[in-house]
Amino acid sequence: MNKKMSGKLSNRLSENISGWLILLPSIVLFTFYIWEPMIYSLILSLNETKGFRMERFVGLQNYIDVLRDSVFHQALINTFFYVIWSLIIGFLVPIIVALIINEMVHLNSFFRFSIYFPNMVPGVAALVLWGFLFDPSEGGLLNAIRIKLGLQPSDWLQNPKLTIPLLIFIMTWKSAGSTALIYIARLQGINQELYEAACIDGAGIFRRIIHITLPELYSTARMLLIMQIIFVFQVLYEPLVLTGGGPNNASLSLMLLSYNYAFVDFVAGKSATVSVLVTLILMCLTFIYMKATKENNNV
Amino acid sequence: MSRLDSKTSGIINFLDLRKPSVKALYYILLLISCCIAFVCLAPPLWVFLSSLKNIKEFAQVPPTIIPHTFEPQKIITTWKTLNFTKYYINSFILVAGSVVCAIVFNGLAGYVISIIKPRGYRFVFNLILWSLMIPATINLVPIFKNIVALKLNNSYIPLWLSYGANAFYVLLFKNFFDEIPREIIEAAKIDGCPNLRLFYKIVMPLSVPIIIVVTIFSINASWSDFLLPYIVLKNRESYTVMIKIYEMSFGNTWMSADMKMLAVLYAILPPVVLVIFFQKYLTQGVVIGSLK
Repeated sequence: MNKKMSGKLSNRLSENISGWLILLPSIVLFTFYIWEPMIYSLILSLNETKGFRMERFVGLQNYIDVLRDSVFHQALINTFFYVIWSLIIGFLVPIIVALIINEMVHLNSFFRFSIYFPNMVPGVAALVLWGFLFDPSEGGLLNAIRIKLGLQPSDWLQNPKLTIPLLIFIMTWKSAGSTALIYIARLQGINQELYEAACIDGAGIFRRIIHITLPELYSTARMLLIMQIIFVFQVLYEPLVLTGGGPNNASLSLMLLSYNYAFVDFVAGKSATVSVLVTLILMCLTFIYMKATKENNNV
Repeated sequence: MSRLDSKTSGIINFLDLRKPSVKALYYILLLISCCIAFVCLAPPLWVFLSSLKNIKEFAQVPPTIIPHTFEPQKIITTWKTLNFTKYYINSFILVAGSVVCAIVFNGLAGYVISIIKPRGYRFVFNLILWSLMIPATINLVPIFKNIVALKLNNSYIPLWLSYGANAFYVLLFKNFFDEIPREIIEAAKIDGCPNLRLFYKIVMPLSVPIIIVVTIFSINASWSDFLLPYIVLKNRESYTVMIKIYEMSFGNTWMSADMKMLAVLYAILPPVVLVIFFQKYLTQGVVIGSLK
């Protein structure tokens, strides 16, 4: 009996050891790419740096410098404008597209393919592509239409008032389709009997949408809304590729500022400081997201 | 007409559609759907057609909106001039290694977390969950420092391995493995099957759908990957397609615009072909992805 028990014990021990051994490569990779860099960023942000090398510990001096920097203020405000514009342009579009496409009996799979198509275009390629369309010279493709209509050519992305909304428009063009597909999947999960019952009660199409469809979409929409905010908060590629943060820092986002500190100005400490601040904000948003999904599971 | 008469799904049903006003509404919505499809498809198509204008028409200012000339042979001549085969091969190498890393390392992590569950695994699982929302680009400087410390810059290895640490893929695998009936695994364990063999002999063959989803996701992600490759690969010979088109658009101003446009087309082509072949799995993948 004693032998049996010790056999069981050693069995469990070897199970534990082999489990950890199999997990080890993943732990090493996560440490290398995510966990250690996060901690190192934190340490870096507390030090004065020369290039990518740490010189001496300066406490919160980097934070004070960055928070006082007017460029940081601009980037912070811009990032919030990115989020606000993405809520104005990007949040309702996929819902409306899903509602309409889901009703179509003609060309249904063609419509689904086309709304998903922009999602397949690789990020940088999509941005370069829109760069041709939004070319501010008279040779730009969209300006060709403006000239044809008798309008002045527009500066498009070079216009500080238009640059953020247009970048958000491009982001929406690229990602609204896949979001719409998620809504369509949700719409198809709605029990058809609900609509039939509403029809018998004499509810018109509009009232069916208000009383059945929208409440059914609510939890999905809330989740996607928070994910969208988290996603847009990290906006980097769009201004990096299309505007370089210009004109006059009008499209500079927090992540682009962090990138510029590191790879243009070579002050790694400040770059890490911005990274840490963005991570903190993202963690708060993630916390809200997790709470929202948890509530979602309970309903 | 008959298709409208048999519409039973969705908000509007066939009874509504007997009313002329609702029928009109349906056709208006159909028109709007066509407009949506147009907005999605037209920009790349327009750029593509514009790039195939002949030299004379291309140089015109303002440009013609609907091209009058069409020279498809430019696709091949530009490909040869830019020597794009090289960048395609580089990108394919990057994609192949990334997919292998994405499946092996994240699959193993999901397997340990879902099935073996050694003591204290929860701690690691929670750490992975928290990394879900931390984008790889946010700590670029320390990642770059780590890569340089191992003297792995200018190599594909750190780019491949970066796909082995993806919290989202780990979660996809874990959730899928959770659904595998425990009896199968217990039976194999009683037969004395070691953990690693259990993984590739039993768990993986049962998980083909999720492997396909992760494969498609990681093909797309690594083909489009830009920032880390851009920072790590400084040798022109190892440039990927994305680095090349970025460099072309902003570095070489001497290059004519139609060449740049065609290079963008080359970059779009592989994912489009991939999606056309795997459309079914992809819609599935989008839905799975949303339920994380």
